[in-house]
Amino acid sequence: MRKLSYVFMILSALCLAVPAFAQAGQASTVNWVAITSGFAMAIASAVCGMAQAKATAAAAEGLARNPSARPGIQLALILGLALIESLALYTLVIIFAKVK
Amino acid sequence: MAEPDTTTDAAEVVYSGALRRIQRCMGILAVALPIVAWFSFGGRTAIGLACGCLVALFNFVWLKRGVEALADRVVGAGKAQSGKGIVARFLLRYVLMGLAAYGILTVSPASLYGLLAGLFLPVAAIACEAAYEVYVALARGL
Repeated sequence: MRKLSYVFMILSALCLAVPAFAQAGQASTVNWVAITSGFAMAIASAVCGMAQAKATAAAAEGLARNPSARPGIQLALILGLALIESLALYTLVIIFAKVK
Repeated sequence: MAEPDTTTDAAEVVYSGALRRIQRCMGILAVALPIVAWFSFGGRTAIGLACGCLVALFNFVWLKRGVEALADRVVGAGKAQSGKGIVARFLLRYVLMGLAAYGILTVSPASLYGLLAGLFLPVAAIACEAAYEVYVALARGL
């Protein structure tokens, strides 16, 4: 509970800090789109990696428990992995569309 | 005496061929889409799309082989393959995709969008398969 309250405190401080940044007189030269794109790709890759690991682990466990269900599990795993990979590709496409 | 469940058997026959149909659909789309793109968006985009489709096709085939090797290892069937080899082949797919994207980007940045579109070939093929299965389920009442 204490940790959660710290998280909310930090988030509220960040919300208050945003208008303070906006009050700067000069236009910022930092390319925020490129920076946030890097973070977006990193987050997407990490989450897709975790999702693929979880799907593979669950499929391996299912196969070990019930080898006779192999065709169904294998098909679901292949399709699942292909679709999870495409999610990272969606992020990449959006980044290419936004960053010139 | 109970009658055999023919509906379940028919459904299993339909679903067991899903992977084969998806691969066939990917092959057809990999040929058809660049031709359409050639007339719609130009030659460079079509070449990029063809490269993307080819990479996606190889990627899918290697993914399938990797999953089959993994399943063989878990079940203990087939020829035993080393875990390192399976993981190396799994990671090699990303290297191939990266190299293709780098090559396309350095040769012709204009065809990059075609390459990115081509990488979504498995998604399009899976969507076609989903539509086919919905049609079969509605038409045959599976």
